[in-house]
Amino acid sequence: MSLTDIKDGQTGIIVSVLGGKALTKRLADLGLTPGTEITVLGRMLFSGPIQIEVCGSRLVLGKGLASKITVELK
Amino acid sequence: MTDDKKINIVLAGQGNAGKSTVFNYLTGLHQHIGNWAGKTIEKREGTLFYNGYTVDVLDLPGIYSFTTYSVEEVISREYIIQQKPDFVINVIDTTNLERNLIFTLQLLELECPIILALNMVDLANKKGITIDQKKLQNLLHAPVVLTVASRGSGLTDIIDKVIDLRKEKIIYKTPEYGKEIETCIAQLSLLLKGIDLPYPERWIAIKLLEKDRDIISLVNGKRPEVLEKTKQLSESLEEIHGHDSSIVIADERSLLASRITRETVKITPGRKISLNDRLAAITTHKFLGYLVMIFILGGMFLGVFSFGNWFSDRLDSIFQSWHAYWNNIAGTSFAAALGWSAIESTLALVQIALPYILPFYVFLYILEDWGYIARISFLMDNLMHKMGIHGKGCISFIIGFGCNVPGCLSCRIMESKRERFITAVLVTLVPCSAVSVIVFGLVGKYVGLLWALGLYVFAIILIFIIGKISSKLLLGEPVELIMPMPDYKTPQLKTIIYQTWDALKEFIFIAAPLVIISGVLIQAINLAGWMPAISSVLSPVTVTWLGLPAITGILLIFGILRKELILVMLAAYLGTTNFSDVLTSQQMITLAVVSMFYVPCIATISVLWRDYGWKKAMIICVLEILFAIILAGLVKRILDFIF
Repeated sequence: MSLTDIKDGQTGIIVSVLGGKALTKRLADLGLTPGTEITVLGRMLFSGPIQIEVCGSRLVLGKGLASKITVELK
Repeated sequence: MTDDKKINIVLAGQGNAGKSTVFNYLTGLHQHIGNWAGKTIEKREGTLFYNGYTVDVLDLPGIYSFTTYSVEEVISREYIIQQKPDFVINVIDTTNLERNLIFTLQLLELECPIILALNMVDLANKKGITIDQKKLQNLLHAPVVLTVASRGSGLTDIIDKVIDLRKEKIIYKTPEYGKEIETCIAQLSLLLKGIDLPYPERWIAIKLLEKDRDIISLVNGKRPEVLEKTKQLSESLEEIHGHDSSIVIADERSLLASRITRETVKITPGRKISLNDRLAAITTHKFLGYLVMIFILGGMFLGVFSFGNWFSDRLDSIFQSWHAYWNNIAGTSFAAALGWSAIESTLALVQIALPYILPFYVFLYILEDWGYIARISFLMDNLMHKMGIHGKGCISFIIGFGCNVPGCLSCRIMESKRERFITAVLVTLVPCSAVSVIVFGLVGKYVGLLWALGLYVFAIILIFIIGKISSKLLLGEPVELIMPMPDYKTPQLKTIIYQTWDALKEFIFIAAPLVIISGVLIQAINLAGWMPAISSVLSPVTVTWLGLPAITGILLIFGILRKELILVMLAAYLGTTNFSDVLTSQQMITLAVVSMFYVPCIATISVLWRDYGWKKAMIICVLEILFAIILAGLVKRILDFIF
């Protein structure tokens, strides 16, 4: 399932990140690599951005980006 | 001075780690801020005199990695490799140790001498995080210093450490990754042995596996056969891991970072939900978040403008008598009149900078230092996306409400050229404090406050529509928002003062000289008696199309210097400050609409010119003039029905 499908407060594990190399690289530099635990903290209405916690820090991702991250519920 | 008393260090780290605070604390007033050669990225340098040593400090742009993703990253890595600073101080946000360590590992790969400054340890402790400093030092093979930059504690320890270690020449170890990756790196390093490039061989090998474009083309020029081997190794890595080899490497780094974090960090569980956590939840809540934002920003604008109006009136009464003094001293010759216009321009600048722009920035940077600005980007992201830019663009808009000059300059935080340009164009349409003086002084005072506020809503809707159109016209993929969300923390006075001064300095040094020079120039045209001719040339537009008095043609020319001059000069020409005697309600609203949009002021134009080239700057001006005239004429015709 995609990151946008998990409910607020749920935790998942990143399976893969789709998208260009620059993008996956940038996410990896922030700690978003396959196998990492990721918790959704909240999101805004009307397909707004999503707030997550990863590696102990909070991060905001645009919705389009979040939909490219596949996760597995923990 | 002997050479061994001279040291140079650079500060490197991710955004939000407190790098600027460290820099400001160390260098104080001995700062020099310029641009990196040929780039629109700020280069901050400074000097510290400490115990007989002269320490040159360079603040590298805040970045997340050393791959060629953005200009900042290339600048930083090239600087470290080419200039070989004595030490790289890696400033780390201790509350986000794991993420920050990913960058630290990349610094270590560069094989440069580094010192870790674990910053914000006080906040980390508050969150129940304690760090085993010794162990971290051992695992990374690099010295670690604990700091709280906002209070200045631990910062001299960094310099002491630098001075101590300079003699010792400690051996830094590069981080060790998983076995199969190390084998690949070793094989490539062997092939790269003695290659004529300024980088360490192991680092080149890693970058080749990461498929870094710049490094690949450099190696291609020297030893193309290595690339063949790289391809083969990458493919085997990809087969084992199922991901691109660049991701495999990044993965290794984050694994190592998380292992180090696990071994060195202790989190005391069971702490209560803090006030800051609750604030964080409320301010980013789906509905409440927007309410809080409207409340905070609305309060900020109301506060700043009511204070500004009061203060500006005070200044007015002080400056009022100065013209007479000047005439007494200098006489009434042509030169004296020009001299007065230079003084008058300066005073008018003071009158906009002190009462409006200064308090505006103080407010803004309090919000920023507190951690709220990132929340605004989060809340506004989806609306901003409709204009083809992401949430961070909203910050430039808010700054633009104070003054368009720093608003346009702040567009540099946007990642792509396309977004930077769209944001800058839209910022020039944001009603700045000078425009607000007109809107409130004319429409708000004589037509009604609701009309004035209506004009603001109108402006915001227009900006939205224009943003939508320009994002369609300027082709390209919109960049998605990726932004670390900082924790709330108590704003620090020192940081706010520094940031406010930085922004104000831009206004003073970029805007002021231009405004004064053009003020004198226009006064010269005026004294030469050419103004009536100009206003009659413009009258088909001003009188026929817009239904305004002919005199407004001249005012609009002066307004290019600073928009509020339109109002100031209107009073001077008409000999009254009671504008309702000379202008009808429609005329006031029409004039306000023209003033809002017709052209960016000269200082903003100069910023556009510098950052985007004269062609684009001119296109923006011409389009905005045409747009404002057409729009205001239509508004006038609609208003004719209402009044």
